[in-house]
Parts: sequence; structure tokens; C-alpha cells
Amino acid sequence: MAPLPQSQRPQSTSQPSGKGEVSDLKMQLRQHAGSRAPGTDDSKRELFKKVISYMTVGIDVSSLFSEMVMCSATSDIVLKKMCYLYVGNYAKGNPDLALLTINFLQKDCRDEDPMIRGLALRSLCSLRVANLVEYLVGPLGLGLKDNNSYVRTVAAIGILKLYHISASTCVDADFPSMLKALMLNDPDAQVVANCLTALQEIWSLEAGTSEEASREREALLTKPVIYYFLNRIKEFSEWAQCIVLDLVAKYIPSDSNEIFDIMNLLEDRLQHANGAVVLATSKVFLHLTLSMTDVHQQVYERIKAPLLTLVSSGSQEQSYAVLSHLHLLVMRAPMLFSSDYKHFYCQYNEPSYVKKLKLEMLTAVANESNTYEIVTELCEYAANVDVPIARESIRAVGKIALQQYDVNAIVDRLLLFLEMEKDYVTAETLVLVKDLLRKYPQWSHDCIAVVGNISSKNVQEPKAKAALIWMLGEYSQDMFDAPYILESLIDNWDDEHSAEVRLHLLTAVLKCFFKRPPETQKALGAALAAGLADSHQDVHDRALFYYRLLQYNASVAERVVNPPKQAVSVFADTQSSEIKDRIFDEFNSLSVIYEKPSYMFTDKEHRGPFEFSEELGILSVGVESDDNVSPAQRVEASDNDLLLSTSEKEESRGPSSNGSAYSAPAYDSSAVSVTASQTQLVSTSQNQALPAYTPQASLAIDDLLGLSSPAAPAPTPSPSTLKLNARAVLDPSSFQRKWGQLSVSLSQDCSISPQGTAALTTPQVLLRHMQGHSIHCIASGGQAPIFKFFFYAQKAEELAVFYLVECVINTSSSKAQIKVKSEDQSTSQAFSDMFQSALSRLGMS
Amino acid sequence: MPVSASAIYFLNLRGDVLINRLYRDDVGGNMVDAFRMHIMQTKELGTCPVRQIGGCSFFYMRISNVYVVIVVSGNANVACAFKFVVEAVNLFKSYFGGAFDEDAIRNNFVLIYELLDEIMDFGYPQNLSPEILKLYITQEGVRSPFSSKSADRPVPNATLQVTGAVGWRREGLVYKKNEVFLDIVESVNLLMSSKGVVLRCDVTGKVLMKCFLSGMPDLKLGLNDKIGLEKESELKSRPSKSGKTIELDDVTFHQCVNLTRFNSEKTVSFVPPDGEFELMKYRITEGVNLPFRVLPTIKELGRTRVEVNVKVKSVFGAKMFALGVVIKIPVPKQTAKTSFQVTAGRAKYNAAIDCLVWKIRKFPGQTEPTMSAEIELISTIAEKKSWTRPPIQMEFQVPMFTASGLRVRFLKVWEKSGYNTVEWVRYITKAGSYEIRC
Repeated sequence: MAPLPQSQRPQSTSQPSGKGEVSDLKMQLRQHAGSRAPGTDDSKRELFKKVISYMTVGIDVSSLFSEMVMCSATSDIVLKKMCYLYVGNYAKGNPDLALLTINFLQKDCRDEDPMIRGLALRSLCSLRVANLVEYLVGPLGLGLKDNNSYVRTVAAIGILKLYHISASTCVDADFPSMLKALMLNDPDAQVVANCLTALQEIWSLEAGTSEEASREREALLTKPVIYYFLNRIKEFSEWAQCIVLDLVAKYIPSDSNEIFDIMNLLEDRLQHANGAVVLATSKVFLHLTLSMTDVHQQVYERIKAPLLTLVSSGSQEQSYAVLSHLHLLVMRAPMLFSSDYKHFYCQYNEPSYVKKLKLEMLTAVANESNTYEIVTELCEYAANVDVPIARESIRAVGKIALQQYDVNAIVDRLLLFLEMEKDYVTAETLVLVKDLLRKYPQWSHDCIAVVGNISSKNVQEPKAKAALIWMLGEYSQDMFDAPYILESLIDNWDDEHSAEVRLHLLTAVLKCFFKRPPETQKALGAALAAGLADSHQDVHDRALFYYRLLQYNASVAERVVNPPKQAVSVFADTQSSEIKDRIFDEFNSLSVIYEKPSYMFTDKEHRGPFEFSEELGILSVGVESDDNVSPAQRVEASDNDLLLSTSEKEESRGPSSNGSAYSAPAYDSSAVSVTASQTQLVSTSQNQALPAYTPQASLAIDDLLGLSSPAAPAPTPSPSTLKLNARAVLDPSSFQRKWGQLSVSLSQDCSISPQGTAALTTPQVLLRHMQGHSIHCIASGGQAPIFKFFFYAQKAEELAVFYLVECVINTSSSKAQIKVKSEDQSTSQAFSDMFQSALSRLGMS
Repeated sequence: MPVSASAIYFLNLRGDVLINRLYRDDVGGNMVDAFRMHIMQTKELGTCPVRQIGGCSFFYMRISNVYVVIVVSGNANVACAFKFVVEAVNLFKSYFGGAFDEDAIRNNFVLIYELLDEIMDFGYPQNLSPEILKLYITQEGVRSPFSSKSADRPVPNATLQVTGAVGWRREGLVYKKNEVFLDIVESVNLLMSSKGVVLRCDVTGKVLMKCFLSGMPDLKLGLNDKIGLEKESELKSRPSKSGKTIELDDVTFHQCVNLTRFNSEKTVSFVPPDGEFELMKYRITEGVNLPFRVLPTIKELGRTRVEVNVKVKSVFGAKMFALGVVIKIPVPKQTAKTSFQVTAGRAKYNAAIDCLVWKIRKFPGQTEPTMSAEIELISTIAEKKSWTRPPIQMEFQVPMFTASGLRVRFLKVWEKSGYNTVEWVRYITKAGSYEIRC
């Protein structure tokens, strides 16, 4: 059993030059195909090895298919394995040839050697050719009943594979219930685990369409099933334990005794060497105790040590995975980790992704007792490690300063940073000092003394420069040479590339003017003149605004520009608590690493094969917003998007529910972009439509402009006479916006004719069909059996009225789910009828 | 749903696919191009081992000159995926005779395909234990363990072995000489401030075993850890002997250890796998004996001269000694000339890592060699930028010493045939990340 030395495996890794070698191989294989002479197996083996290695390096050897199949009539297991491998690789591309292999694979499934039975069954299921599914049912059924556990493990996963090739065949053959029976009775733990994984996947995919499946899925979480798994937990392999524990985490025990029983049973899993098992157990503990605050805290204490051990052992990647989870826990309950802060100190050689997490944790756990040590450590990083982390650590010091009560010492540290004379340190610190002064104006005296010494020439980064200028304006009465610094900055107006800095400069010089008019007057004149000539719209507008304001009344201007300010008490948090809770629900998964709930990165519903479908994805993700939107707005915007997508998910929002609650701010903030997209609309429609169409397009603009005011009551046509504009045009961004603004006016289920489902092999089929009915597709996606489409249509009489449709079609159950949104709710039903009748005619023509 | 990998790729450093296996059809075949484009050819490489591109997530690890990439399309279990990669690589290593690199992969395509199919089915991890897989996947591969034809050596109870509960040991092993080797390997992590204050210090230890035992032996290991000793004295109802006891912060065990018994009796009892394995891992933060103290003084004299004095003190017993001691003392980038004197070992300037590297092959206990060096710098025209000093780093191994003070009190082997065994116990302490700021 000892591994052979490599020298015994001579194998040329040289790349063959071309077809010569392949046809050569073909010849040789033919020679050996029929031969039964002793020793042929060995030479066949060498040939097969060559074929496999050609295949691996990317040379197409599919032309050897028939020869390989001919050679496969052998009892040599190594040859068989190589042949299975070859067939599995090329069967998908050559379904006709794959048929050739069925015969010998089926025969091997009945071999007396269980090893061969298992391998053949696995290969058979891995062919992934849809028209061969009928041949799978028999061998799989036998495989489940095989007396050897190896074959049964293969068969259990084989059924899952069959389900993915053809769900209906799998369900019709009653395989799920056979799996269930096997899962609850098989003596072999790996068979049980594979049944569980297969069933979980099948039932959760079926649950959308079949009530029975969703009932079965629920049944997995009942007490007898969960206890059955828990009692056998020690028999499972480490990987299977992860799967079982993941299931247990979803179980809701009936009372606290049950919770304690389960935790007692699983406590030793925390000592398992496999980190994945430890994390899975932690998840169970955390979720079971959510409602019991005290115990929940004790769970944190209990799992802390194992998690810290995992972080400090294993590869960087593994410890990163665990550290991300620890990070999540620290963020949820920082006070429980406040004494462990030393574990979050960074090592010099750690990768920056680890350091970044640690910095955030250090920031979170800082409290009165450990602030001094933590800040000292963070200051070390500011001087000692790579630049991005140094910046992060300065920001971390600032954050601690903003959340602490005893800021005294920290302010001193920050001011020390300014004396380090490193550009990036100075830049970050200036931004922080500005924030600090907004919260604690009482520190202005100390800070200003130091900030005054900084030469503006050493500050190049826009954010830092803006912060410095803000302070110059805000505290110009305390800084002796503020007017002169500002003046010199204004002299170099044209060299200043950042509009943000120029905007700040205008405001600062005006503030300065109100405090020290004689010294600033000249600079103010120069700034206003430069601002008015500025090519940047915002800068120009602000300059003009200030100019007119000053012209109107200087004291009003002072009240506008420099009102008495209240200290900022709390800076906005960037992530809503709802998101955080969702991430916690998905503990031990990618969500924690990405710090996003899973629907934000796995939902493919809005992705489709078309280029603009990517933009639709934003509809539910909502992270991207325009650069000119201020952070506060951005947070608000993404919160709205979240709201939107969650309510979409739960499908609980009725047609008239609080839709306006979040669409209102969207109107205000996107006022500019509305006009922008309207012009875009005009241009696209002009490009695409015939010239004769232009007047209609301009009509559309008028109506769209009226969008923010209540639309003029239009005569409602009777439902039967609804006519659609065959040449409706709507660009993706407008679609997106409308989809976000409108509430669902109709949500219906309908069925599709069998011909329709048969015709619907790709999304494009339906797309062309609906176009014939004046309903246009804007995005589509999905794979059989589930497709998803977004359609739009425009009312012929009233071009302002669009109908937006989300349509999910399940071809295996011949069902469609339709959601209609429209500006004109009264005709939604008529439109929906029209849509359904169009849908029902699919495949008829 | 737990991890279900859609594909696994092995790439070389240039980004060529060496070998791959697609487990599911839910990701496109061009996934590896996406990985190359978005990760390998950008600065992203090394910034984060988990990345999302398109709808898929990529987990990647570099092992020698190979990137192992797992692609998943859903919300997978990250810890499980990385653990799988690590275990799979260990498995390949044990098949290839220790090496896992580009050449080893190129020479073993067929074997790797076989193993990849066996350890993962449709994206779900199956059996990864080398002990069991080697029973039926061999490079010779002639025999199947179930095969009734191979009557010459039937493997008893093969079913249980392939999939069953005692997955780590097969029956019927026979050794002429029954031996057990036990190594306690500790690595000390230290972070010390320039003022000599210990900022952070911990020990991560492993108990490694190598067993050559016949039959199905039951082993019992006793350590001088606090909980174990207290429990024992409680059971025997007599006061625990005075002496040093160690408080383990956290322990994890190999799957062979009976955890229930550990929790109730606090003894480590197990049926070991055959050959080499890691029995347990532990972590200690309190009462660590640091083997070395480093006292640096670094003075910047003017703009072109730096004076470095480093004293290293060994604080373990005088009869012991450390091996392979390396002390890396950072110097500025613009170093032009160095001159130094050491009282032990050898030192040289390594410009590639901007360090003075001081090596002492054999370092006895209770001694304190020193190094004094003078460094001349190239005078730069640019404005004086203060030198950010990286920490001094140290490497060493101290045999027969444990930084935690952990000791094996007993190792009992019990087998029903009652043979005699020879037990060997060794201790070694290594430097983990041993950093002293200066």
C-alpha cells in the first residue's frame, strides 16, 4: 500500500504536436481492442494513460470514443476506471456516442465486485445526457437496495444527479421516498449522510412547486428525525457531521430542557480537530439559545476558546474563515470580548485581509479599561506596517475616540500623528481631527494649535485638504494666519483638481470673511470670481449662490453659511441591524465573509444572459449609487433597496401597502437623474424608432415629467379594449426605477399549456413569442425548469402608462407566476388577462 | 445547504490549468478564465482568499507552486471548503510520497482523477482518510478490497472500513516490534514592545504520534494538565501532588479520541490510526516560559549612521541548548555598508530582506551572546523620512523543552493479546511568530 516512488510512473508530459499522435493512438487501440492475449491489459493501460493525459492537457481526443468503448470490455479495474473517466468527460458533447457506453455501464452495475458496481453507477449518473435518463432508473433503484454500503452511498448521490438532469423522472420513480426510508434505516453513516444531502437539495428545489415536498422538508426538522441524527452523530465522518449540524441548527426545540440536552450532547464536538465541525456546532449553540439571553452569553464564553485556537492554527485561509466568524461575534457582543483584545493584535507578517479584520475587532472591543493599550498598539501600526493598514489603524484610533468618553489621551495621540510628517498619516489624521471637532468642539483649542502648523503644501489628498480647509474656515478666529493660507490656496485655484476641495474653499473663505472681514475681503473676491468661472457646475452654482446671497443681505448670508452648530452626537451606522441579523442567521457560510446576507450575492433571479440584466441585479442589491450622492443619501438609498428587496422576497406586500413610504425620498434624490434618463429615453427612442415616431416620444417626455405630480385623471377604457403600443421603448434604467417605485398591482398564478412548456427550451422562445403580442422583454434568465422574465408593455392610448411584469415559469410543473406593476392600476387586470392569453398561446403557432 | 463545490481546479503559477474536475453543471466552463482575469492577473492576488466574480465564489489557496481553487455557486460553508482543500492536499501528499507540486500533479493525472472522484461526489465531501482510500485506490490498483477473486488476502469487514465508523484503522495489522513515538511540538508566539513589555504571548502545541502497533490497541495518555490532574486526584480521593500543573486554554482532538470519556474522566483515550497522525492540539496563554529574551538598542546617529546592539539571552536550563537560532535585525533600505561583531555564531547583511541575519547553530542555555553593528547609510537628497522599523524576528528550536511546561505523565497501551510495547517521547519548542519591536 505504500505510495510508489515517482520514478515508477514514467509518463511523457511533452505536448504532442497535433493530430498525428491521436490517430496513432487510435490505431494502437484498435489493435488491442479484440485481443485477449496476456499482457494486453498492461499495454492498454499505458495507452489509456496517454489518452487521459492528452485529455487533461486539453487535446481533443473525443475521436477515440468508439475505440475506447471497444477496449473497455475488460475485467481490469484500473482500465475500467480510466475508461469511465474518459466517457464521463466526453459523453456530454457526444450524446449519440454516449449511448454506446450505456450497455457496458449497465452490465458493470451488475458486476459481482461491489467496487465496480459503485464506480459504474457513479459514471452512469455522471454522463449528464438528458435522453439517457430512462437507463438510469433501473440501476439506481437496484443501487439503493444493494447489500454493499459503498454502492448505496454512490446511489444516494446518483439520485440527486438524476434529479438535476430530469426532475420529473426522479420524482415519478418515487426516489425521494426511497431515499427517506434509507436515511432513517441504513446502518452505514455515510449512506445516511448522502441521503440527507440529496433529500435536502431535492426538497428545497421542489418546495416552490410541490406542497408535499415542502411538507417533507419541514418533516426533516421534526423531533424524531433530529434526535435520530443526533444519536448517531459520532458515527458520521467529519464532513457528514457538518451537514447534520447544519440541519440541527434549524431545529426549534420545544422547551429549554431540550435545548440543554442537545447542547450537552454536542458539547464535545467543540473539541473536534476539524474547524468546520467546531463552527457548525457553534452555530447550533448560538441559534438554539437566541431566546435565552443569559445562556446565549454563556455560549459566547464557551465557544470563544475553541474559535481562538482555530484562528491561531491552520493555514492563513482557514484562520481567515474562522476569524471572520469571530469578527461577527465580536461585533454583536463586543463587551464579552473586551478582555481578549490581545488576541486581535496584528503580527507583522500577517496578510492584510487578516489585519483589517483584527483592526475592526480591536476598535469594537475598546472600552474604558483597555483603551489605553489598544490605542498604544494601534499607534504602533500607524508607523510600522504597510500603508493601507496604517491608514486603517489611524481611522480605528479615530473611531475609538469618537465612541469613548475619555478622549483626552487619544487626542494627544492623534496630534502626535500629525508630527510624524508622513503624508498619508497626516492626511488620515486631518480627516479624523475634523470629525472629532464636530463631536467635541471643546477640543478645538488644542487641535487648532497643532493643525495651524501644518503646511497646506504637504497635504495633497482631496479629503484631507477639504478637512484642513473646513477647519481653517470654522476656526479662522483662532488661527492667526487662516485668511492668508486661504488666500494662497485661492491663488492656486486652477491647480486644484478636486471639485470637493474647491467647494470647501468657497465655503471656508466666506466663513472666514464673516469673522475677519478686512483680511479676507480680497481673497473672497478672488474666490468668487474664480468660482464663477469654474467649469464644474456645482462649484459655479455655489459661487453664484454666495455672490447673490451677499448681494442681497450679508447678515442673512452669515446665517445661511455660518449658523451656530450643534455638536454631532452620533455618526450614522452604515449597516442596518436587520442586515446584521440576517448575516447572523447565516452563520458559518459565505455571508459572514462577504458581510452581506446571502440573497445579495446568490440571487440569480435578476441576472440573465443579456448585458443589461446586470443592471437589474442592482435592483435588489442596491449598493451602487451615483458618486455625487452624499453618504447619508447613499445609506438611505441602500436601505430603501433593502426594504424593497426584502418585501419582494416575502411577497407580502399588498397592492396598496406602504409603497409610498420609501418611494418618496427616491423621487427627491433622483430628481436630477430622472431628467437625465429622460433625455436618454428620447435619444434611444430616436435611434431605434422610425422618424415618424418622434412626436410620440416627446409626448412621453411630457408625461414622464408629470410623473412626480399626480397624473391627470385619464378616462379609463373598458378592460376589453386595452391596446398596447407595439413599438414601446423603455430603457433598462427607467425600468429599474419604475420597478422600484411602483407597488405590485396584481399577483397571479396561471398554468401553461403542455405545448408551451415543450416549446420553452430557452428563454428566447418566449421572448419572441411575446413580442408578437406587443409585450417586450427587458431581461430574462434561469435554466430549465425555472425561467424568470421581466417584461414591459406600453398602453397605446396613454403612452405614460407602462405595464411591468415579472414572470416566473416552472416548466416542470407547467405553472407561471405573474406580478404586474403599473402606473394605471385600474387596467392592470385587463393587461394581466391579455398577458395570460398571450402566454397560453405559446407553442400553438 | 452546506458546501457543494461546483468545480475544483489546480493551476500553476502562470494560471494554466493542470487538472480540474467539474462536479456540477451550475457554473460555466470559463470560470477559470474569470479567476485568471480577476485574481491572478491583478493585484487582488493575496488580498483575500475568497472572492466573488459573476455569480460564483472562488476559494483559493496556494500550496507550493500550485493554486487550488474551489468554485461554488451558492452560499457555501467556507471553513468546510478550506478544510477540504487542506485535507485533500494531505491525501495527495501521502500518495505522492510527500511532495505536492506542479510536477507531482503532471505525473499523476489518472490517480488524481480517481481520488477526486472518490473524495467528493457531486460537490459533497465523502471519505478523505488516506488510510482507507489506500485500501482500494492504489497506483497499481489491481485489487479491489471486495473482490472475491483475490482470495489470497481477504480484508476483513471491508464495508465498515470504506464508509464505517472506525474509519481510521483497519483490523489485522501485525508488527514484529510494537512501537509508539510521541512528539510534543510547541510553537511560541511572542509580540514584545520595544520597552521589553510582553504585549501578547501564547503557545500552540501539537501532540504528534507515530504508531506501529498490532491489532486494535487502546491507548491512554496522561499529561500534567490541571484539569486532568484534579480529576484524577478527585477520583482517587487523595490530594494532588504538588508540582507544576498546566492550564490548557483549549484542546482539540483527532477524531479517534473518545470525547465523551475525555469530558467525563478527563483522560485522553483512543484507538490510534496506523502510522503518523496528529493526536491533539492545544493552546496556552498563561504561564509561558519564554526561551529567549532579546534586548535591542538601535540608535540613529545623524542621517547616515545607525548603531545596533542586540543582546540575546537564553533562559532555559544550562544543560539544554537551542538549535538553528536565527535572529533577523531590520536595517534601513538605503544601507550602504555594515560592520559588526558577534560573540557567538555568524552574521551577515542580507540586502534582499533588509536585515542583518545572525545565525547561531548551537545555542546553550543560560548564555547571552551579543551583537554590535554599525551601519552606514547612503545619504539621500530627499527630505529626511523617518525609518519605520519592522520588528526583530527570531527562529529557533529547543529540543527537550516545552514553553508551556507540559509533560507526558504516562502513555499506556492495552491490547487484548497483551504484547509489550516500546514508547518514545520527545519534546521540542519552536518559534512561531517571535517578534520583538525595536
